[in-house]
Amino acid sequence: MSNSRSELSIILRGVAKDPLGLIGLIIVGTIAVSAIFAAWIVPYDPIGMNIPDRMQGPSAAHWLGTDNLGRDTLSRVIMGGQVALKVALPAVFGAMAIGLTLGMIAGYGPKWLDNLLMLFFDTLRSFPTVMFALAVVALVGPSLQTVVLVVMATSIPTYGRVARTQTLTLRNSEFILAERAMGASMARILGVHMLPNIIGVLGVLAAMDVPTVIALEAGLSFLGLGVKPPTPSWGALLKDGYALIRQTPWLVVGGGLPIILATLGFTFLGESLRDVVDPKLRKNR
Amino acid sequence: MKLEWTKAPMGRRNFLKTATALGAAATLPMGLAGRAMASEGGTLRVRSYGDMSTMDPAHSNGVFDEEIHASVYNKLIQYKPGSEWGWQLDAASMIEQADPTHINFALRDDIGFTNGHGAMTAEDVKFSFERIIADDTESPNKPDMGPLSHIEVTGEREGTIVLNEPFAPLWSIALPYITGNIVSKTATEAAGGRIGADPVAESGPYLRASWNPKEKTVLTRNPDWQGDAPAWDNIEILPIDDENTAEIAFEAGELDFTRVSLGSVERYRADVPNGGALIENPSLFYVWLGMNLDHPKLQNIKLRQAIQHAIDVPSILEAAYFGAVEPSTGIIAPGLIGHRDAGSIAPAADFARAAELLAESGETNVSLTLDVLNKTTFTTTAQIIQATLAGIGITVEINVLESGAFWDSGNNENLQLVLNRFSMTPDPTYATAWFTTEQAGIWNWENFRNAEFDQLHAEAARETDLEKRAEMYVRAQDLMEESGAYRFITHEATPVVHSSGVVPALRPDGLTLLRYFGKS
Repeated sequence: MSNSRSELSIILRGVAKDPLGLIGLIIVGTIAVSAIFAAWIVPYDPIGMNIPDRMQGPSAAHWLGTDNLGRDTLSRVIMGGQVALKVALPAVFGAMAIGLTLGMIAGYGPKWLDNLLMLFFDTLRSFPTVMFALAVVALVGPSLQTVVLVVMATSIPTYGRVARTQTLTLRNSEFILAERAMGASMARILGVHMLPNIIGVLGVLAAMDVPTVIALEAGLSFLGLGVKPPTPSWGALLKDGYALIRQTPWLVVGGGLPIILATLGFTFLGESLRDVVDPKLRKNR
Repeated sequence: MKLEWTKAPMGRRNFLKTATALGAAATLPMGLAGRAMASEGGTLRVRSYGDMSTMDPAHSNGVFDEEIHASVYNKLIQYKPGSEWGWQLDAASMIEQADPTHINFALRDDIGFTNGHGAMTAEDVKFSFERIIADDTESPNKPDMGPLSHIEVTGEREGTIVLNEPFAPLWSIALPYITGNIVSKTATEAAGGRIGADPVAESGPYLRASWNPKEKTVLTRNPDWQGDAPAWDNIEILPIDDENTAEIAFEAGELDFTRVSLGSVERYRADVPNGGALIENPSLFYVWLGMNLDHPKLQNIKLRQAIQHAIDVPSILEAAYFGAVEPSTGIIAPGLIGHRDAGSIAPAADFARAAELLAESGETNVSLTLDVLNKTTFTTTAQIIQATLAGIGITVEINVLESGAFWDSGNNENLQLVLNRFSMTPDPTYATAWFTTEQAGIWNWENFRNAEFDQLHAEAARETDLEKRAEMYVRAQDLMEESGAYRFITHEATPVVHSSGVVPALRPDGLTLLRYFGKS
């Protein structure tokens, strides 16, 4: 426990030393904190309508103005962050968990199983993500769960392939051969000895994937196929903002700015994490 | 040629820094770009919200094609520009209803086809009209011709339109709209009976000079036109789908005429750039909330009536339509035969009555789905309906669908509530046609089945007495409302702006009649 705590501390200190990493950490931290405590910090009910006050510009009462139903845009942006993370985190970490497991099995298991799983990964990868998402949403209807499942399904191959490659590299390492010679089970070898050597790389990949997933959710919501109204989402804000851009440009700002910030934040953080986790990359830059 | 790729001088991280800085800079206020003024001499530049697809009236896809066809072809009669529906003579020098099934006409003697195809004759009229109803043509516009039997040619320029039974929409749809365009018999037959994306022979005041798909269609003055000279030398029609883009183009002086979004009406009421003007026309579209009468959850008429009374139309019009439209009383717009002055349910919600009806229905814990198209106007409307129905204890879950899935809802047996919008032509039969028993599960998504309604729809199309016809359509809409399956919302509106040098010629629903556009 103390080991992992000190490792985390080293990683965080490493990230904090890098200016872009620090910016990323601050942005991601702010988004995460505001999403977690959204219900307490929103100044107004994000779905409460007040039609007479619709499409107002920024004011002391409404910092980002109001939308076409008179709802406070800032409250919807904050609550939209919660939706973005509700989609991104389960989708990314779900995909990582499944991809990691399948990738390690593919890399360590028999050749036929490797071929079968690679075929599965390639089949999943062959679907264009957005088209696949549109098809699934059209079939089962839009919802938060649908978006999570679609993103998870399309992200599994990426993690699976990386995990497989890492496993193939490690499987003939001396310490793994020694474990096998001592009769360690496959589960023990994969879970205890290989996993700690692979998880770091996948963690970096996951951090870099979060903004992609947020953008995908926003894209589906922009098409009106993400979360159901009246649940606020950044993509839905952007969609309404685009339609009303000549009447109230603040909706586009409200929907677009958090997407840009989240993308930059997670990208900076991911890059910095990669440097810390793999110092070779830092030297080569 | 050898191409050498070298490493980019900017690293990924530097690129991110630079891009971030540029992105931030882009948000700073920028100076206003100088506006190009709309002064192109004799060229009128108008926006169409779609591109033309064919020069064949038999296969016209609607408004985009008709805007051009109406300028380069002639009809016996054309819509009259103005605020009231009516028609005026075009290629016909005379047209009269001899009896309910016979219409005599005589053609002008000064209209000729281009490319050496000679003067327009009654044979051309016969060919054009009978071609529409011929099975071989497979014209999607055949229904517009209704019970047309044939054309009797009685002279070089005289003939009689013969109907199998009386057909009132002949004067409001068949003759002055898409199917009324007269093409050259000899030119079309020489082309193998089909007209493609290029005209084979034209006869109107304009000729189609060029067509660059998705970019521009150019009409130019027909030098052989003997009728009233059109005001503009050239008309450029630019297909621009997005209204925000069209408004920016208009304000930059790149367009002389465009339809604008309802959200911009208030701004244009205050001021139209470049000395232009705003014209607000009612539209023929109709928007309503439908309830699927076949769904088990919606069998109780008291529940449906409670929903009708709980929906606050003024709130919807204010939030989703920017207060720029009027509430509707049915499916037939003001100005058309059969329009209802008032419905039995007032536009404003009556929550007390709705709650009373819900209590009478005996239904509790009502939870329904509402399907809508993924457009901001509809999702906004749906959210207001959701909020107002929540006020009487009905929970609504909104299903936002992309257009493919939405327009396939006719056979969706799980459909409960649906927010819908249909287009319309200037004859009431076109509205009632979609709500007959025959259309249940096709376009009649409410599965409204009413024998009296079906009979009214059929008889009204044959009725030539306008007063009786109007009464029939009023009654038909009463029946729709009484079924509890419909809450009528609006007919929308068609606001347009034009620059100072243009005198638009519009149908009462705001659609353009380009050949009649004038100069001020």
